Amino acid sequence: MSQPVLGAPLDRVEGPGKVTGRIAYTADNDIPGMVHAVVVESTIANGRIAAIDESAARSAPGVIAIMTPRNAPRVDARKVDANDSLLFLLQGDAVEFDRQPVAVAIAETFEQATYAARLVRVRYDVRPPTTALASGERFLPDQIFGKPAQHKRGMPEDAFARAAVTLKQTYRTPTEHHNPMETHATIAQWTGDRLTIYDATQWVFGVQHRLAATFGIDPKAIRVVAPFVGGAFGCKGQTWSHVPLAAMAARLAGRPVKLVVTRPQMFGWVGHRPQTEQVVGLGAARDGTLAAVTHDVLSETSMSDEFVEPSVVFSRDLYAVPNYAMSDTLSRLNISKPTYQRGPGESTGSFAMESAMDELSYALGIDPLELRLRNYSANDPDSGKPYSSKRLRECYAAAAAQFGWSARNPKVRSTSRGRMLVGSGMATASRATHRSPCTVRMRMNADGNVLVQCGTIEQGTGTPTVYPQLAAEILEIPPERVRFEFGNTDLPAAPIAAGSQTSGSVGSAVVVAARRMRELLVSHDGKPPADGFEVELEDSPPPEEAEHATQAFGAHFAEVEVDPDLGTVRVTRFVGAFDGGRILNAKTARSQMLGGIVWGISMALFEDTRYDARSGRIMNANLSEYLVPTNADIPDVEVILIAGDDPFANPAGAKGIGEVGICGSAAAVANAVYHATGIRIRDLPITPDKLIR
Amino acid sequence: MKPAPFDYYCPRSLDEALALLAQYGDEAKVLAGGQSLVPAMNMRLARPGVIVDVNRLPEAAVIERCDGSLRVGMLARQADLERMPVALDAVPLLAQALPHVGHWQTRNRGTVCGSLAHADPSAELPLAIVVLDGAIEARSSARGTRWIAAGQFFESYFQTALQNDEIVVGASFPARREGWGYAFEEFAGRHGDFAIVAVACAVALEPNGVASEVRLGLGGVADKPHLAPLTAYCGRVLSQRDLPEIANAAVADIEPPSDLRGSARYRRALATNLAQRALTRALASARTACDGLAQ
Amino acid sequence: METVNIEVNGRSYSNEVEPRLLLVHYLRDTLGLTGTHVGCDTSSCGACTVLLDGISVKSCTVFAAQAGGHAVTTIEGIGNSGALHPMQEAFWAKHGLQCGFCTPGMIVSCIDLLRRNPDPSDAEIRAGIEGNLCRCTGYENIVRAVRAAAAAMKADEPRRSVAELLPVGAS
Repeated sequence: MSQPVLGAPLDRVEGPGKVTGRIAYTADNDIPGMVHAVVVESTIANGRIAAIDESAARSAPGVIAIMTPRNAPRVDARKVDANDSLLFLLQGDAVEFDRQPVAVAIAETFEQATYAARLVRVRYDVRPPTTALASGERFLPDQIFGKPAQHKRGMPEDAFARAAVTLKQTYRTPTEHHNPMETHATIAQWTGDRLTIYDATQWVFGVQHRLAATFGIDPKAIRVVAPFVGGAFGCKGQTWSHVPLAAMAARLAGRPVKLVVTRPQMFGWVGHRPQTEQVVGLGAARDGTLAAVTHDVLSETSMSDEFVEPSVVFSRDLYAVPNYAMSDTLSRLNISKPTYQRGPGESTGSFAMESAMDELSYALGIDPLELRLRNYSANDPDSGKPYSSKRLRECYAAAAAQFGWSARNPKVRSTSRGRMLVGSGMATASRATHRSPCTVRMRMNADGNVLVQCGTIEQGTGTPTVYPQLAAEILEIPPERVRFEFGNTDLPAAPIAAGSQTSGSVGSAVVVAARRMRELLVSHDGKPPADGFEVELEDSPPPEEAEHATQAFGAHFAEVEVDPDLGTVRVTRFVGAFDGGRILNAKTARSQMLGGIVWGISMALFEDTRYDARSGRIMNANLSEYLVPTNADIPDVEVILIAGDDPFANPAGAKGIGEVGICGSAAAVANAVYHATGIRIRDLPITPDKLIR
Repeated sequence: MKPAPFDYYCPRSLDEALALLAQYGDEAKVLAGGQSLVPAMNMRLARPGVIVDVNRLPEAAVIERCDGSLRVGMLARQADLERMPVALDAVPLLAQALPHVGHWQTRNRGTVCGSLAHADPSAELPLAIVVLDGAIEARSSARGTRWIAAGQFFESYFQTALQNDEIVVGASFPARREGWGYAFEEFAGRHGDFAIVAVACAVALEPNGVASEVRLGLGGVADKPHLAPLTAYCGRVLSQRDLPEIANAAVADIEPPSDLRGSARYRRALATNLAQRALTRALASARTACDGLAQ
Repeated sequence: METVNIEVNGRSYSNEVEPRLLLVHYLRDTLGLTGTHVGCDTSSCGACTVLLDGISVKSCTVFAAQAGGHAVTTIEGIGNSGALHPMQEAFWAKHGLQCGFCTPGMIVSCIDLLRRNPDPSDAEIRAGIEGNLCRCTGYENIVRAVRAAAAAMKADEPRRSVAELLPVGAS
């Protein structure tokens, strides 16, 4: 082949299906005899259900059943492991948060079910809710992903006390809801004791195991299909209450049931990024060398779970800091369970840490980029392990050059364009890459065509395009001769498509299988036998992989214009350069970075779930008041990929690229706003009223 | 989120539509473009028992210039107006306001008269018609036609002077006059969203430079479009230096609400600023218009 | 119930519908044209955009009964004689999509944008389709796709055939 296959910007193989509307998402599926379920959600955030009157709903046209705590099948709503959550499956009368499921209406048509849901009358004994971070009961969680909730290295207190320059500030990030364009949806069908589930999920096997535990049946009796997933960003990583509710409704109705979560319900029980309050302390020498960093995080969790937003990971694992202390405290609130959202931990932690670094740069009179370079770490500062690869220096250089950083006037409020104040800011991006065990089956037919099977999913990342590319590269065949089958539990088990691990996990398994297939081919003189070859293997990270720390890195540079009279911020230019290890497809990879940066801009300027203090209800549970950016709010964004192999990360040589783009980008915008205006905004989002003094 | 059931009528004549309204009174809602009503019904914020869909009335989509005014028929879509250079030229304030109304798709469907009848206090078209001192034509089967001055039409949040049996059959926007200048300014949190504050301004200059009229309206600061009392500044030659004072006077008696989109304090600051910008631009365009006259 | 006679993608249909049935649900549930998606129900997201007599509207704000006697074009009716429409081709080639959920509505809106402005600037593209939200792409590639489609439509470039579509999918 003249052109290398790997990394080539191949068009998505499923592109034609997506541009013609032929690809089916979960809610697009129709099963004969199917009826519709609509969840009735609570209108209070704390209390008990005193009484439910479903008589009007039951007699509405087309209604098959109204499922309430009184008649719901008895199931096990408990969590199956620490990362799971308690589900709300109509097993009791307690209400812990706004929009908790309290009943389900089942009817012949979606309109009838929706109408019946509105006729269900629920009376509550209301108790005052707590939704303010400051007011919740505080506690230290038992552990954060296997690590203690408090941790230090060196002597942070002494070093902080002795530092020539110190800074301690509090940064706040709000509750944010994922809001992928496709809302959650589930179709459930019982055939005897066997259950088939269509679900918008990032992990078919997770759904399978959770339902097996909930219903007390063998996982093998449950088949889960994830058709194409219309975006997820973390909220489709867990099995939430509506999935078993759909199955329970199907059992009650004796018919297949489709349950589509509405947009306002997307603010209910399907997870969100928790609000945080982060105190960052920096102690530095006059030359900018960091002597001590402290990072103390308070984040929210629900009444029945312990979810920790691991913001500290960013400050812990990036700069060469000998003395470091962190703590994670949780505040129990009447909210639904928080969960992972794109770049969990690093996205919020980078806003605090990279804002603090910017503040330090001005306090010391050192260029913000130079300050980062002076604290560049060759090794993971916490574990002391070498990085599997690190091209952050190259990222800084490439992005700074493209942005024209050296021409910047370092003085605050020094630049204007017409009546607009212009500022620029930068921040570092960093995000850990993971790898989990993954099984693939690879078949080469006599004609040389290859089928790769793996039960991962496609949520926009390019799964059916990228993994054939990887296999084709090794097998030295054109990628169009490799087909990738994915999206159901009949296929070999894949880990959750989240946490920047799919390239590392699925990609590595594909690489290992393709290498083995290549050996088979060589041993057969390059020609498969009449019945072809098949390789099936489970790939796991070997122990020696733990000798290195694997992180994706990047550098963000943002320019903003601020209207000094109205307080409006417009990002006018954005350049990001990223080290994502080996790039499997330049087109899909670049798009992941673009999307991530725009999530950061959105986090900086728009997204903010607002609770009513008295009722504990969410006040902006729709896309007209929960703001995500429109096309007109976004500037030209330039992405530079600093590609290169990573021999120690994993066999695919790839680091996670889906999340690194959002890590640090909000801070870059906030830092640019400070440079433009001299106003430091430490609580996101940066709304115009905060800039009008 | 789907609407509750309702009875649907699709009259083929205005008389039939008016008879339905007379029959059903406040149970009935007129459906024109539906860009505010249908989302409200989807969210169950509105649950009319009867829908009178006027989209098939024959007379309805007229846009015409007559007697110094632009007359917009009840079914003229916002995008129809936007696509009609003659109309935009006749009413420059509308030309400036229309691109702020929703999105392209919603303007394709949404009607001018429907937006007026909906009376959202932060909507652009009600503000424009109040500042232009236009009028709304209402008709009922019992009392026939009456014209309601825009200043009297809007009463409060989503409340107008329309009776239950009345329908807006047209609106009249005074056309550009000699010596007048117009400006529309708006600020929304995100592109295409409802205004946090909007300002419409019309200034008339005599050939000698004296301002004979200064009209300035504010949207998003009260329960209806707020016309600032600025008669004190008429009959004077206005310079750029006077404008901060006029802007301050324009917002002096507003008591803007605080909500998710902005605090009262921020709305007031925004209103002052946008008022000054609108005054500046309206005055400049009036001067250009006067210079044009002088030549 | 109301009888609607409606032309969708060039075919005539006649159905009895409840008045409250939204056009988007008529298209999806009655006709099985599931390429038109539901994203919000508040006319905020644009995922349900279709052409009504050639003009883009959000089909979650129109009742099916209102579309009677009119012609509706959904994403399934875009492109003809087996070939992708240049806008579809451009969204694919320029990677104006990721998860694909907003894509049908986005493409329909962009076609209407070029109908009224065949040669838009980047700023006009961004403002012209501000009624369509995308959560994945960061919009940059969508702007490139519209630009490419505008150029292709002017040059009338040959397009890839739908017959070339590779069989891909979750089973």
